Amino acid sequence: MINRTLTPSLKEIDKIDFIKPAIFDISSSVKLYSMSEVPNQTSRLDLYFNAGTILGEIGTASFVNSLLLSGTNSNTSIEINNEMDSLGAFFESSVSNENAMVSIYALKENMLAVLSILKDAIQHLAFHEHEVTELVNDRKQKFKIGMEKVSYLAQRTFQQKLFNHPIYGRIAEETDFENVSISTLKRFHKDFYLNGLTKVVLIGAFSTDEIDEVIDMTGNWAMDALPTFNEKCQNEPSKTHVNKEQAVQTAIRVGCMLFNKKDPDFIDFQILNTILGDYFGSRLMTNIREDKGYTYGIGTMVAELSEMGYFLVATEVGSDKKDATLHEIEFEFKRLQTELVSDDEMQLVKNYMLGQLLKSADGPYAMMDLFLQVEPFSIGLDYYNNCIESINKITPDRIQELAIKYLNWDKMTIVTAG
Amino acid sequence: MIHFERYILKNGLTLLFHKDTTTPLAVINTLFDVGARDESEAKTGFAHLFEHLMFGGSVNIPDFDAPLQMAGGESNAFTSNDITNYYDVLPKTNIETALWLESDRMLSLAFTAKSLEVQRNVVIEEFKQRYLNQPYGDVWLELRPLAYTKHPYKWATIGKEIKHIEEAKMEDVKAFFKKHYCPSNAILCIAGNFEFEEIKALVEKWYGDIPSGIKPARILDAEPLQEEYREKTIERAVPTDAFYYAFKMPERRNELFYVADLLSDALGRDKSSRLYVSLKKEQQLTAEIGAYITGSMDDGLLIISGKLNDGVTFEMLDNALWIELEKFNNHPISSDELKRMMNKLRTSKEFEEQGLLNRAMNLCNFELLGDANGINEEHLIYEAIHPSHIQETAMHILKKTNCSLLKVKAISNDK
Repeated sequence: MINRTLTPSLKEIDKIDFIKPAIFDISSSVKLYSMSEVPNQTSRLDLYFNAGTILGEIGTASFVNSLLLSGTNSNTSIEINNEMDSLGAFFESSVSNENAMVSIYALKENMLAVLSILKDAIQHLAFHEHEVTELVNDRKQKFKIGMEKVSYLAQRTFQQKLFNHPIYGRIAEETDFENVSISTLKRFHKDFYLNGLTKVVLIGAFSTDEIDEVIDMTGNWAMDALPTFNEKCQNEPSKTHVNKEQAVQTAIRVGCMLFNKKDPDFIDFQILNTILGDYFGSRLMTNIREDKGYTYGIGTMVAELSEMGYFLVATEVGSDKKDATLHEIEFEFKRLQTELVSDDEMQLVKNYMLGQLLKSADGPYAMMDLFLQVEPFSIGLDYYNNCIESINKITPDRIQELAIKYLNWDKMTIVTAG
Repeated sequence: MIHFERYILKNGLTLLFHKDTTTPLAVINTLFDVGARDESEAKTGFAHLFEHLMFGGSVNIPDFDAPLQMAGGESNAFTSNDITNYYDVLPKTNIETALWLESDRMLSLAFTAKSLEVQRNVVIEEFKQRYLNQPYGDVWLELRPLAYTKHPYKWATIGKEIKHIEEAKMEDVKAFFKKHYCPSNAILCIAGNFEFEEIKALVEKWYGDIPSGIKPARILDAEPLQEEYREKTIERAVPTDAFYYAFKMPERRNELFYVADLLSDALGRDKSSRLYVSLKKEQQLTAEIGAYITGSMDDGLLIISGKLNDGVTFEMLDNALWIELEKFNNHPISSDELKRMMNKLRTSKEFEEQGLLNRAMNLCNFELLGDANGINEEHLIYEAIHPSHIQETAMHILKKTNCSLLKVKAISNDK
């Protein structure tokens, strides 16, 4: 019989190979990043556009992004989708504050054919009235469904109070769906898609000739100079409750404006963030889920924009546990400010984070995504070697110092909905 | 081609090994052949509650997660009506930590009162978060008992009601473990850059002395052949009317399962599918519409669901939908339509098999079906499907007497 009470010995991760994508010029400022070491037939193409929600009137960016395959003067949306599906391709599009993107997932042998369909669909997008009307109705319905969810209610008020800014903090209302003008959509499309390409990402075992074809097909959309973002926001420290009758759970959002990877405190703050709420064994999960059973889950994160970032705690708890949960979150902030993290916990978080970094560098898709997380900040893959170094040398004192500096309860924006 | 090796321990544990030389990670996936269908009707939600308790410490190790995190790893699990599946992903150099933890919880749990108490609350909050506090969240709690009258698929994995979870007792927990959690009821798959002999030795070391247990016989109430159309309307404070048509379809091991899968793709997988094009784009009846299958081991369901546009009645949709479904009688799918679906399948499968964890999970699933090599043969079954097969299956499945319709009628919350 083996002795099951003895822990097997562990090996530490000392080195991770970070592989840089190949870089090609589309224009003087727009690049194509290619990762061709893919051992199978899969491939992915991402096109990034300077067409985020901070541009244009409220809703416009999102409507245009959703209408990209809605038809040209020679092809209907049904025909376009049918052509793409016939090539076995999957299409996704999304929009964030400062960016819009479209992605294609397809077998490598079909990617160029799919891109050619996509190219034509975007280039000659006609904004047929029935397609716009249909989308607006669908969106209105989704909006109403969203307004029935406490998580959605909390998130939108949080966004307003967090960014506390006329553009970054604006949120849609039902009336915004009433007066969508096709000419506005057309202008946005022309300004920010047909002249708005900021980056192309290609993963798959493509030859240089094939990469050149991608460049040829997308080149005329490339921006002359990449956009710059200068706004900085300051959250409104406040406590707001959004009422929702008959809800059996309350959604909680607590957070504040913070920095992004450009800040020297960023990496160390990520370690603090992990300890507090970013893994299954975190302080908040241990206290609020595993000790008290108030919730199915609670987590924290740092989100990044070009020139700023923010910190967020998010959870949904039983309706009678709202105040108790807020109290415990504050308690965990204070505990990190007043008590040093034990050596055991410190070691566990270090090992866990290094293991997760190894995982996030596993394979060409993961590797490209790691690269894309540093590329917007003009910091190379060295960032991840710095992470390894910082994780290895961080101390409980440093964690405490950062908790005191950044986890200030009185400066938090707190929103509850339920 | 997904390569694998198989080794069966003396205690009945099936080990599958999949070698991948490109990854620095190891995956340890454990499938237990137990799901919500194995519960008694008076104690539902138990298989899932039990999954939570599996993280509450084992007989020799007080905490499951912390040692795994210390080894740089992560773990999670899910429960379905058919199976309970646990997985760990960690740096390959620390694989032994995962085997130590997994084998100890297969041997026995700590069964602490605190763990049961807390996880009951956590699962109740999960019940509220996913099923009660979301618009349309309780649809499956209503649809299952409409579509199934006898078979345990008539309740959801979360359970029929919160009360069943509140009433779970320690003796129930222990009995459930004893019956279902033993080597002879489990399939273990290890994936990573290892040698098979090395893995065999490690698995013998950690799992070899666990008592075999007896693989429980599964005797479930068979679902009688549905012979009548069923319909139920529920009123909810939601913004829009929604519909769920559930058609009975063959069990997982039947070849017609694959035909029904393609049929659901033809109906409503993507934006070029028949229902999406006809009911949403052309007739403007729905805001959303889609079709999919539940994929369950015993007789499953093919679901057509969606939301109505404002001003459209259930009746208008119903008329238009049945016209569309009856088209299969005279219009088998074209070879272009079939080719489109096969191309989509191929892309999905290639992407799915990219991930090490997916490969390990799927190997276990196919082993449960009878042979892990099914993972490499499944495409042959799809490729042999002819448009006439889909037509026959459509005519057999898509008929009123095989259908249960759940309508969610939107009512105002303001009253």
